[in-house]
Amino acid sequence: MTLLRAWLAGIPAYLWSGWGAIASLFLFFAAWEAAATVYGVLILPPPGTVFSTLAGLIDSGTAWPELAVTARRALTGLALAIAAGSVLGMLAGVSMTASMMSRPLVTVLLGTPPIAWLVLAMLWFGASDGTPVFTVFIACFPVIFVGALQGTRTLDGHLREMASVFRLPARMKLTDLYLPHVVSYLFPAWITALGTSWKVVVMAELLSSADGVGAALAVSRSHLDTASTLAWICAVVGTLLAVEYLLLEPIKRELESWRQQDAGGLT
Amino acid sequence: MSRELRIDGLAHAYALRSVLDDISLRLTAGRTLALVGPSGCGKTTLLHLCAGLLTVQKGSLASDFLRPAVMFQQPRLLPWKTTRDNIALGLKATGMRPAEREARAETMGRAVGLDKLALDLFPHALSGGMQSRAALARALALSPDLLLMDEPFSALDIGLKGQLHRLLLDHQTEHGLAVLMITHDLMEAVRLADTILVMAADPGRLVHRVELTTPARQRGESDIYRTTAELLQEPAVCASFGLDLPRTGIATGCHHRRSGCAVLPLRACSSADGAGTCAATPAPRKKGFSC
Repeated sequence: MTLLRAWLAGIPAYLWSGWGAIASLFLFFAAWEAAATVYGVLILPPPGTVFSTLAGLIDSGTAWPELAVTARRALTGLALAIAAGSVLGMLAGVSMTASMMSRPLVTVLLGTPPIAWLVLAMLWFGASDGTPVFTVFIACFPVIFVGALQGTRTLDGHLREMASVFRLPARMKLTDLYLPHVVSYLFPAWITALGTSWKVVVMAELLSSADGVGAALAVSRSHLDTASTLAWICAVVGTLLAVEYLLLEPIKRELESWRQQDAGGLT
Repeated sequence: MSRELRIDGLAHAYALRSVLDDISLRLTAGRTLALVGPSGCGKTTLLHLCAGLLTVQKGSLASDFLRPAVMFQQPRLLPWKTTRDNIALGLKATGMRPAEREARAETMGRAVGLDKLALDLFPHALSGGMQSRAALARALALSPDLLLMDEPFSALDIGLKGQLHRLLLDHQTEHGLAVLMITHDLMEAVRLADTILVMAADPGRLVHRVELTTPARQRGESDIYRTTAELLQEPAVCASFGLDLPRTGIATGCHHRRSGCAVLPLRACSSADGAGTCAATPAPRKKGFSC
């Protein structure tokens, strides 16, 4: 509850601090506009056209269902990866042997391109939801696993000794000792994974599904409709930015408030 | 029968390097035992053994104390908890209700001189001295019957040190807790301890024992200075710290105390008491000592 209140209270100041970001975005649009005038509408439609196409997609009611389908797949895969990666990563981090053994496996997972997983997933799951969900899961899992592993391993041994001397029960060790420390490693990993999931799901849909943003992109590509292709891209990027900067970033700030109080101390 | 910490023939080695050899001591409730020795003589290892952080390899260590608490060399506060929650940490582990443990933490915090403002801050916003006080409060909040301290006050200025010494002595008088403290500050040992054990390094062993019979709260400043000075004249102490033997010793008669059990001006080892306390020490080995 306090988290929610802090989140709401923090939004205005946070948005106000975003003027610099907005300015740089507008510079980007200006460059886009300039490039559009050079190359022509067929190759690169200007931002105005793209956004009106996007508005048209939203008005006609085609945008939301597709975005919802894509979001459902991405978030399912991401949720599975977060659950499995966080838990397994922390477990592996507690034991030296497990972390040594898991490192090379994770490197293999990280090194395998998502497109390779996608091909495998298409063989295994066909055109069902399983294909994008699995691809998202497998692309996000190692990122989160490594975050949790690093976080657990880097916990100060002195604090662990202190915890056992003060006879902290196992549950308290988790909530009062490990989690607060690990979260500062996990959260950035979750955010990275969110970006990955969103990108990977569109790719997976493009090649394997009949609905979702990826499928819509495939259709607009086959119609050589650059404007609606860019409109869909804007929709995908816009949703991701909105989720990351309006939801995750403020939560992260709140969770890490103990870190940011350097100014105004008594020292 | 009063509670007791008994260590007999304790030895410890890290891989092939022996860090402790044949340590034997007794600590009963209400008494303070100070382990003094140069850096690297195994004091901290001994304390970690007592705290159960290391497993006993050789010898025996038995403790009847029910609620031991440790104050480490560094404050070791959790950076993501406010000072108040840090002080209450041990109480939370015992399952005490939030309101109760917070009230207790606040009382304890106030006792060590941390005000409400400081209690609401995160540890990194506190000065080093305040962090040490929070760590002491965290240990004392548990109302321990055995307090293990590893150079707890070494980072503090003398004023603060004095305050915390008084606080500790008051707490000890009130609750009768036993204190095992490690220090390399001889004067601190003389100020607080009933028994001072001097350790030497390579491997860590006990080389000298001093009993102080005047209760710690009644020791005058000049007594403390004199006793410390005299302790520094002891050949065993000088050798342990790698100091040159003083050429002109104060007339403490350290020559006839080669046995190693000093009787210092704080009138230690009165025969009855001396027999009582020292008899528990196991038969001396050649490099050891006896009274």
